[in-house]
Amino acid sequence: MSGLAASERSVRPSSGLSRFAAMFGKELLELVRSLKLIWVPIVFIALGIMQPVTSYYMPVILEKAGNLPDGSVIEIPLPTGAQVMAETLAQFGSLGALVIVLVFMGTVSSERNSGAVSMILVKPVSPASYLVSKWGAMLLLSSLSLLAGYGAAWYYTGFLIEAVAFKAVLSSFLLYELWLLVLLTLTLLLSTALRSAAGAAFAALGAGAVLSLLSNLFPKYAGWLPGALPGFARQAVMGSLEWSSRFGACLVATVMLLAALVLLANILLRRAAAID
Amino acid sequence: MRPLLEVEGLVKSFGTTKAVKGLDFTVMEGRCAALLGPNGAGKTTTIRMLTGLLKATKGTVRINGCSGSSHRDMRELLGYVPQSPSFYGWMTGKEYVAYAGKLCGLTARQADIRASELLSRVGLEEAGKRRIQGYSGGMKQRLGLAQSLVHQPKLLVMDEPVSALDPIGRREVLELLQELKSETTVLFSTHVLHDAEELCDDIIIMASGQIALQGSLQEVRNNNRLPVISIRLEEGEASREWALTLKRDAESFAQKTVERENESTAAALPHMTSSHLPLQRMPLLRHVREVEVEGYLVRLIVDDIAEARRSLLEELLRENVGVSKLEVGFSSLEDLFMKVVSG
Repeated sequence: MSGLAASERSVRPSSGLSRFAAMFGKELLELVRSLKLIWVPIVFIALGIMQPVTSYYMPVILEKAGNLPDGSVIEIPLPTGAQVMAETLAQFGSLGALVIVLVFMGTVSSERNSGAVSMILVKPVSPASYLVSKWGAMLLLSSLSLLAGYGAAWYYTGFLIEAVAFKAVLSSFLLYELWLLVLLTLTLLLSTALRSAAGAAFAALGAGAVLSLLSNLFPKYAGWLPGALPGFARQAVMGSLEWSSRFGACLVATVMLLAALVLLANILLRRAAAID
Repeated sequence: MRPLLEVEGLVKSFGTTKAVKGLDFTVMEGRCAALLGPNGAGKTTTIRMLTGLLKATKGTVRINGCSGSSHRDMRELLGYVPQSPSFYGWMTGKEYVAYAGKLCGLTARQADIRASELLSRVGLEEAGKRRIQGYSGGMKQRLGLAQSLVHQPKLLVMDEPVSALDPIGRREVLELLQELKSETTVLFSTHVLHDAEELCDDIIIMASGQIALQGSLQEVRNNNRLPVISIRLEEGEASREWALTLKRDAESFAQKTVERENESTAAALPHMTSSHLPLQRMPLLRHVREVEVEGYLVRLIVDDIAEARRSLLEELLRENVGVSKLEVGFSSLEDLFMKVVSG
């Protein structure tokens, strides 16, 4: 058996990338072991199916449960496929965003509070790669869930109502995923800054609400904020999205915000790796 | 032997309170050093700064000549076990050690082999296959040790490695450390003197953020060995009275000595004789440095055993004090530790 310690140190090529891969692997394994990789997509699939199905069966539901007088004629025009898909996105925006933020609310703070993170950060790894591995897990789980949920909505809309163009669905998916990433990156930063996981979730959702409120209330001045992304995604699936300087500015601002949030989290983590 | 860990002028303040007020010490390669001190002395803060987890307000830490600016290199040389190591409960012990190995730059295969080796070394061969959430405190401590050694660090730093463990867990970890210290340089903090005495070559005693005393264990022990006479008195009001007056007289005598040293010797001589201290007691007081009274147990720290003993016996006879036990010996490290730490 080889010695435990310094006696026969060998110089190893140190690759930052392989260390990052190990950390990302750990995040994935955690998603698998905690079954989040299964149940979060299931929640999104349920949300995605609900919208086309309820739209399609609305007349029947009203007839059976509406306590309407005999002989009333219900005449509800079937919404277009694009409308149903846009309403699905609204579902993801409320319940879906809530679920995904709650899943990641303690991603850094719980490890910091328990002290697990100090065992990791004394290893020759950078705090940035620790954060980016977490961010990667967020990207993976959120895009997978949104893909599954939105895909299910697309399938059922096509099946029950009418087919929606793939290109429109794909571009709205990408825009909406970008919005979820904004919420999740806010969660990442707040989870690094705050001790309490619930506090981080609350603050992240609040910040998200403020962003979208600002860009909706003052489209002229704040229309370029990432809060406008859900609106652009909606336009994309309805086929009314056109390239405008505001849309471009929004994409640039979003990417810059994401980078700034991760950078800020990195500074916080560098300053004090563990909470006393 | 060359210095492995060099600490210079290390200061940490949190707001207005200074937790660590300027430490200087060196740990030589191959030595085992203990950072000893009561709770709240700043041991954990110091260790956090050594590992780079906490930024020092001032001062430098160098390991093997690498300083904080080349932080990454420093961490390559360092293994760290925190006070109560906390892992990912959903991982198995072996997965965790292998993960630590990969973070230190091992390939997946190397990490796996190394993890098996280390786990069998710390006696977790079987438990390594189970999830960490079911581990006991002692097992977690041993797992912490295994993961800290995965990259064969030159310096192993541990924060209170045994203080949270039950006697069995303590024994296991101490035995592991006993083996380990022949293979690498170890620095650990503890508030238990006994653990330090059992394992260490060097001790650094900290009290309220400062180094109170440091040196090799042998050196510190020899330099601070004071002759002590301890007597147990027979219970009773008279014995108690005698012990307390002796303590009081010793204190005022010591004070007078200080005063006399401040004044010129010639002027002080008549001063001495005008003292209110009982003359018959003077021969004893001259050799006593300190008197401690604890119930009916009296400890006299003296400078000359033979003289002090003779005058003490005379005193006991003259005052007719009942004594049930009299012992002559030397102060222990424990006494020194208590003295240094309490002020």
